[in-house]
Amino acid sequence: MTPLSSTQNPNSTASLPIIYNTLTCEKEKMPESFSHNTHSFNTISVSNHFTVADDRSNILAWLSPLDPKPRHQDIQDRRVENIGEWLLQTDEFRSWSASGGEGESGDAVLFCYGGPGVGKTYIR
Amino acid sequence: MIDSLCDQAGGQNVAVACFYFDFAARQEQSPTSILGALLKQLVVGLGEVPEEMTRAYEEQKNFIGGRRPRHTDIVKMLQAASSKKRTFICIDALDECVPEHRVKLLGSLNQVLQNSPATRIFVTGRPHIRPEIGRRLSGRVTSLPISTKTDDIIRYLHSRLEEDTTPDAMDSSLEADILRKIPEDVSEMYDM
Repeated sequence: MTPLSSTQNPNSTASLPIIYNTLTCEKEKMPESFSHNTHSFNTISVSNHFTVADDRSNILAWLSPLDPKPRHQDIQDRRVENIGEWLLQTDEFRSWSASGGEGESGDAVLFCYGGPGVGKTYIR
Repeated sequence: MIDSLCDQAGGQNVAVACFYFDFAARQEQSPTSILGALLKQLVVGLGEVPEEMTRAYEEQKNFIGGRRPRHTDIVKMLQAASSKKRTFICIDALDECVPEHRVKLLGSLNQVLQNSPATRIFVTGRPHIRPEIGRRLSGRVTSLPISTKTDDIIRYLHSRLEEDTTPDAMDSSLEADILRKIPEDVSEMYDM
Protein backbone atom coordinates (compact mmCIF):
# COMPACT_ATOMS: atom_id res chain seq x y z
CA MET A 1 0.00 0.00 0.00
CA THR A 2 1.73 3.18 -1.18
CA PRO A 3 0.53 6.62 -0.11
CA LEU A 4 -0.64 7.12 -3.69
CA SER A 5 -3.08 4.25 -3.83
CA SER A 6 -6.07 6.66 -3.94
CA THR A 7 -5.48 7.15 -7.69
CA GLN A 8 -6.00 3.46 -8.29
CA ASN A 9 -9.28 3.35 -6.44
CA PRO A 10 -12.02 2.93 -9.07
CA ASN A 11 -14.64 4.26 -6.67
CA SER A 12 -12.81 7.50 -6.18
CA THR A 13 -14.98 10.43 -7.27
CA ALA A 14 -12.40 13.06 -6.37
CA SER A 15 -11.86 15.63 -9.09
CA LEU A 16 -8.43 16.12 -10.62
CA PRO A 17 -7.42 19.23 -8.63
CA ILE A 18 -8.28 17.47 -5.41
CA ILE A 19 -6.26 14.45 -6.46
CA TYR A 20 -3.45 16.80 -7.34
CA ASN A 21 -3.53 18.50 -3.96
CA THR A 22 -3.67 15.15 -2.27
CA LEU A 23 -0.69 13.98 -4.25
CA THR A 24 1.42 17.01 -3.51
CA CYS A 25 0.61 16.75 0.20
CA GLU A 26 1.45 13.06 0.16
CA LYS A 27 4.68 13.83 -1.60
CA GLU A 28 5.64 16.37 1.03
CA LYS A 29 4.82 13.94 3.80
CA MET A 30 6.57 11.15 1.98
CA PRO A 31 9.53 9.73 3.88
CA GLU A 32 12.93 9.75 2.22
CA SER A 33 12.70 6.05 1.58
CA PHE A 34 9.92 6.64 -0.97
CA SER A 35 11.84 9.07 -3.11
CA HIS A 36 13.25 6.31 -5.33
CA ASN A 37 9.71 5.31 -6.29
CA THR A 38 9.69 6.67 -9.84
CA HIS A 39 6.16 5.49 -10.52
CA SER A 40 4.82 7.83 -7.86
CA PHE A 41 6.71 10.76 -9.27
CA ASN A 42 5.43 10.09 -12.76
CA THR A 43 1.91 10.15 -11.46
CA ILE A 44 2.55 13.45 -9.74
CA SER A 45 3.98 15.16 -12.80
CA VAL A 46 1.11 13.97 -15.01
CA SER A 47 -1.47 15.34 -12.59
CA ASN A 48 0.40 18.60 -12.43
CA HIS A 49 0.28 18.90 -16.21
CA PHE A 50 -3.47 18.27 -16.30
CA THR A 51 -4.14 20.90 -13.68
CA VAL A 52 -2.37 23.61 -15.69
CA ALA A 53 -4.11 22.62 -18.94
CA ASP A 54 -7.39 22.47 -17.07
CA ASP A 55 -7.01 25.99 -15.71
CA ARG A 56 -6.22 27.34 -19.16
CA SER A 57 -9.28 25.79 -20.76
CA ASN A 58 -11.42 26.92 -17.83
CA ILE A 59 -10.25 30.49 -18.34
CA LEU A 60 -10.90 30.31 -22.08
CA ALA A 61 -14.38 28.92 -21.50
CA TRP A 62 -15.04 31.66 -18.96
CA LEU A 63 -14.16 34.38 -21.51
CA SER A 64 -16.98 33.35 -23.83
CA PRO A 65 -19.42 30.49 -24.33
CA LEU A 66 -19.09 30.89 -28.12
CA ASP A 67 -16.65 28.92 -30.23
CA PRO A 68 -16.33 30.03 -33.86
CA LYS A 69 -13.86 27.29 -34.75
CA PRO A 70 -16.34 24.65 -36.03
CA ARG A 71 -17.87 27.20 -38.39
CA HIS A 72 -14.42 28.18 -39.67
CA GLN A 73 -13.52 24.55 -40.32
CA ASP A 74 -16.81 23.96 -42.10
CA ILE A 75 -16.10 26.87 -44.47
CA GLN A 76 -12.54 25.68 -44.97
CA ASP A 77 -13.83 22.25 -45.99
CA ARG A 78 -16.41 23.58 -48.41
CA ARG A 79 -14.32 26.23 -50.05
CA VAL A 80 -12.77 25.50 -53.44
CA GLU A 81 -9.04 26.23 -53.55
CA ASN A 82 -8.13 29.69 -54.89
CA ILE A 83 -11.69 30.97 -55.05
CA GLY A 84 -11.71 34.72 -54.56
CA GLU A 85 -7.98 35.01 -54.89
CA TRP A 86 -8.47 38.15 -56.98
CA LEU A 87 -9.34 39.98 -53.75
CA LEU A 88 -5.84 39.44 -52.38
CA GLN A 89 -4.41 41.12 -55.48
CA THR A 90 -6.46 44.31 -55.14
CA ASP A 91 -4.75 47.53 -54.10
CA GLU A 92 -7.35 47.92 -51.37
CA PHE A 93 -6.50 44.60 -49.74
CA ARG A 94 -2.76 45.05 -50.13
CA SER A 95 -2.60 48.47 -48.57
CA TRP A 96 -4.99 47.46 -45.79
CA SER A 97 -3.04 44.35 -44.78
CA ALA A 98 0.35 46.04 -45.11
CA SER A 99 -0.52 49.23 -43.24
CA GLY A 100 -0.45 49.70 -39.52
CA GLY A 101 3.27 49.30 -39.08
CA GLU A 102 5.19 51.75 -36.98
CA GLY A 103 4.35 55.36 -37.76
CA GLU A 104 1.99 54.34 -40.53
CA SER A 105 -1.63 55.28 -40.56
CA GLY A 106 -3.92 54.03 -43.35
CA ASP A 107 -7.43 52.68 -42.96
CA ALA A 108 -7.70 50.14 -40.17
CA VAL A 109 -10.88 48.58 -41.50
CA LEU A 110 -11.59 46.80 -44.77
CA PHE A 111 -15.30 46.34 -45.45
CA CYS A 112 -16.17 43.89 -48.23
CA TYR A 113 -19.77 44.19 -49.21
CA GLY A 114 -22.07 42.44 -51.59
CA GLY A 115 -25.57 41.02 -51.91
CA PRO A 116 -26.64 37.67 -50.49
CA GLY A 117 -24.95 34.64 -52.02
CA VAL A 118 -22.13 36.36 -53.92
CA GLY A 119 -19.60 34.47 -51.79
CA LYS A 120 -18.41 36.98 -49.20
CA THR A 121 -17.83 34.22 -46.67
CA TYR A 122 -15.79 32.08 -49.04
CA ILE A 123 -13.29 34.59 -50.38
CA ARG A 124 -9.85 33.18 -49.88
CA MET B 1 -9.51 35.09 -45.90
CA ILE B 2 -8.43 34.05 -42.44
CA ASP B 3 -6.26 31.26 -43.81
CA SER B 4 -4.64 33.72 -46.21
CA LEU B 5 -3.85 36.09 -43.38
CA CYS B 6 -2.44 33.20 -41.36
CA ASP B 7 -0.34 32.06 -44.34
CA GLN B 8 0.84 35.60 -44.88
CA ALA B 9 1.67 35.92 -41.21
CA GLY B 10 3.64 32.68 -41.53
CA GLY B 11 4.60 32.37 -37.90
CA GLN B 12 5.57 36.02 -37.60
CA ASN B 13 4.41 38.11 -34.72
CA VAL B 14 0.82 38.16 -35.93
CA ALA B 15 -2.42 37.03 -34.31
CA VAL B 16 -5.66 36.37 -36.19
CA ALA B 17 -9.15 36.06 -34.67
CA CYS B 18 -12.42 35.53 -36.50
CA PHE B 19 -16.12 35.58 -35.87
CA TYR B 20 -18.99 34.44 -38.10
CA PHE B 21 -22.42 35.89 -37.56
CA ASP B 22 -25.29 33.53 -37.96
CA PHE B 23 -28.85 34.76 -38.19
CA ALA B 24 -30.13 31.59 -36.49
CA ALA B 25 -27.89 32.14 -33.45
CA ARG B 26 -28.38 35.89 -33.22
CA GLN B 27 -29.64 35.83 -29.62
CA GLU B 28 -26.62 34.01 -28.16
CA GLN B 29 -24.29 36.22 -30.17
CA SER B 30 -24.20 39.14 -27.76
CA PRO B 31 -21.50 41.83 -28.06
CA THR B 32 -19.80 40.58 -24.88
CA SER B 33 -19.72 36.95 -25.95
CA ILE B 34 -18.53 37.87 -29.47
CA LEU B 35 -15.66 39.99 -28.18
CA GLY B 36 -14.93 37.22 -25.66
CA ALA B 37 -14.72 34.70 -28.50
CA LEU B 38 -12.26 36.95 -30.35
CA LEU B 39 -10.23 37.40 -27.18
CA LYS B 40 -10.14 33.65 -26.66
CA GLN B 41 -8.46 33.16 -30.03
CA LEU B 42 -5.94 35.91 -29.37
CA VAL B 43 -5.05 34.33 -26.04
CA VAL B 44 -4.51 30.97 -27.75
CA GLY B 45 -2.28 32.80 -30.27
CA LEU B 46 -0.29 34.42 -27.48
CA GLY B 47 0.61 30.97 -26.22
CA GLU B 48 0.05 31.79 -22.58
CA VAL B 49 -2.76 33.28 -20.54
CA PRO B 50 -1.85 36.84 -19.47
CA GLU B 51 -1.34 37.13 -15.74
CA GLU B 52 -4.03 39.79 -15.28
CA MET B 53 -6.54 37.47 -16.95
CA THR B 54 -5.70 34.60 -14.60
CA ARG B 55 -6.11 37.01 -11.70
CA ALA B 56 -9.52 38.24 -12.93
CA TYR B 57 -10.59 34.62 -13.38
CA GLU B 58 -9.54 33.71 -9.85
CA GLU B 59 -11.30 36.77 -8.40
CA GLN B 60 -14.67 36.07 -10.01
CA LYS B 61 -14.71 32.65 -8.32
CA ASN B 62 -15.35 34.49 -5.04
CA PHE B 63 -18.81 35.41 -6.26
CA ILE B 64 -21.46 32.80 -5.65
CA GLY B 65 -21.61 30.62 -8.75
CA GLY B 66 -18.86 32.67 -10.37
CA ARG B 67 -19.39 35.68 -12.57
CA ARG B 68 -19.01 36.11 -16.30
CA PRO B 69 -16.58 38.82 -17.38
CA ARG B 70 -18.22 42.22 -17.78
CA HIS B 71 -18.26 43.93 -21.14
CA THR B 72 -15.79 46.62 -20.05
CA ASP B 73 -13.42 43.95 -18.71
CA ILE B 74 -13.50 42.07 -22.02
CA VAL B 75 -12.79 45.29 -23.96
CA LYS B 76 -9.86 46.09 -21.68
CA MET B 77 -8.42 42.59 -22.03
CA LEU B 78 -8.94 42.75 -25.79
CA GLN B 79 -7.09 46.06 -25.94
CA ALA B 80 -4.22 44.57 -23.97
CA ALA B 81 -4.08 41.34 -26.02
CA SER B 82 -4.19 43.12 -29.39
CA SER B 83 -1.34 45.43 -28.40
CA LYS B 84 0.99 42.48 -27.77
CA LYS B 85 1.05 41.31 -31.39
CA ARG B 86 -0.02 42.73 -34.71
CA THR B 87 -3.65 41.65 -34.72
CA PHE B 88 -6.14 40.90 -37.47
CA ILE B 89 -9.80 40.63 -36.53
CA CYS B 90 -12.21 39.19 -39.13
CA ILE B 91 -15.95 39.46 -38.82
CA ASP B 92 -18.22 37.76 -41.33
CA ALA B 93 -21.82 38.75 -42.10
CA LEU B 94 -22.05 41.69 -39.70
CA ASP B 95 -25.45 42.52 -41.23
CA GLU B 96 -26.83 39.38 -39.55
CA CYS B 97 -26.13 40.86 -36.12
CA VAL B 98 -29.02 42.37 -34.12
CA PRO B 99 -28.85 46.17 -34.77
CA GLU B 100 -28.55 47.08 -31.06
CA HIS B 101 -25.72 44.57 -30.64
CA ARG B 102 -24.02 45.94 -33.73
CA VAL B 103 -23.91 49.47 -32.30
CA LYS B 104 -22.27 48.22 -29.12
CA LEU B 105 -19.89 45.87 -30.93
CA LEU B 106 -18.66 48.51 -33.37
CA GLY B 107 -18.23 51.00 -30.52
CA SER B 108 -16.07 48.51 -28.64
CA LEU B 109 -14.02 47.64 -31.73
CA ASN B 110 -13.42 51.35 -32.18
CA GLN B 111 -12.06 51.49 -28.62
CA VAL B 112 -9.72 48.61 -29.45
CA LEU B 113 -8.54 50.42 -32.59
CA GLN B 114 -7.87 53.60 -30.66
CA ASN B 115 -5.83 51.71 -28.13
CA SER B 116 -3.86 49.57 -30.59
CA PRO B 117 -3.76 51.47 -33.92
CA ALA B 118 -1.84 48.66 -35.69
CA THR B 119 -4.83 46.32 -35.38
CA ARG B 120 -6.58 45.57 -38.67
CA ILE B 121 -10.26 44.67 -38.94
CA PHE B 122 -11.82 42.84 -41.88
CA VAL B 123 -15.61 42.92 -42.13
CA THR B 124 -18.05 41.42 -44.63
CA GLY B 125 -21.72 42.25 -44.94
CA ARG B 126 -24.48 43.48 -47.17
CA PRO B 127 -24.15 47.01 -48.58
CA HIS B 128 -26.79 48.63 -46.33
CA ILE B 129 -24.57 48.58 -43.24
CA ARG B 130 -21.77 50.45 -44.99
CA PRO B 131 -22.61 53.96 -43.68
CA GLU B 132 -22.99 52.62 -40.15
CA ILE B 133 -19.54 50.97 -40.24
CA GLY B 134 -17.95 54.19 -41.49
CA ARG B 135 -19.63 56.22 -38.77
CA ARG B 136 -18.93 53.88 -35.84
CA LEU B 137 -15.33 53.17 -36.77
CA SER B 138 -14.25 56.80 -37.00
CA GLY B 139 -14.21 56.78 -40.78
CA ARG B 140 -11.07 54.67 -41.01
CA VAL B 141 -12.74 52.30 -43.47
CA THR B 142 -11.91 51.20 -47.01
CA SER B 143 -14.88 49.61 -48.78
CA LEU B 144 -14.59 47.05 -51.53
CA PRO B 145 -17.48 45.55 -53.47
CA ILE B 146 -17.49 41.75 -53.75
CA SER B 147 -19.02 40.14 -56.81
CA THR B 148 -18.96 36.64 -58.14
CA LYS B 149 -16.20 36.47 -60.71
CA THR B 150 -16.67 34.26 -63.76
CA ASP B 151 -13.26 32.67 -63.12
CA ASP B 152 -14.39 31.65 -59.66
CA ILE B 153 -17.59 30.10 -60.99
CA ILE B 154 -15.64 28.07 -63.56
CA ARG B 155 -13.18 26.99 -60.86
CA TYR B 156 -16.04 25.90 -58.67
CA LEU B 157 -17.72 23.98 -61.52
CA HIS B 158 -14.48 22.15 -62.34
CA SER B 159 -14.09 21.07 -58.76
CA ARG B 160 -17.69 19.81 -58.61
CA LEU B 161 -17.35 17.97 -61.93
CA GLU B 162 -14.27 16.19 -60.57
CA GLU B 163 -16.36 14.97 -57.66
CA ASP B 164 -19.05 13.63 -60.00
CA THR B 165 -20.21 10.26 -58.72
CA THR B 166 -21.56 9.16 -62.14
CA PRO B 167 -18.75 10.14 -64.53
CA ASP B 168 -20.05 7.71 -67.18
CA ALA B 169 -23.03 9.98 -67.80
CA MET B 170 -20.66 12.82 -68.67
CA ASP B 171 -19.08 13.49 -72.03
CA SER B 172 -16.95 16.34 -73.24
CA SER B 173 -19.77 18.18 -75.01
CA LEU B 174 -22.01 18.10 -71.92
CA GLU B 175 -19.12 19.31 -69.80
CA ALA B 176 -18.44 22.16 -72.22
CA ASP B 177 -22.14 23.08 -72.12
CA ILE B 178 -22.11 23.18 -68.32
CA LEU B 179 -19.00 25.32 -68.21
CA ARG B 180 -20.48 27.75 -70.72
CA LYS B 181 -24.13 27.96 -69.65
CA ILE B 182 -23.93 28.16 -65.87
CA PRO B 183 -21.52 31.15 -65.68
CA GLU B 184 -23.77 32.92 -68.20
CA ASP B 185 -26.88 32.37 -66.10
CA VAL B 186 -25.11 33.38 -62.90
CA SER B 187 -23.94 36.58 -64.56
CA GLU B 188 -27.52 37.43 -65.46
CA MET B 189 -28.66 36.65 -61.92
CA TYR B 190 -26.15 39.01 -60.30
CA ASP B 191 -26.06 41.45 -63.19
CA MET B 192 -22.29 41.19 -63.49
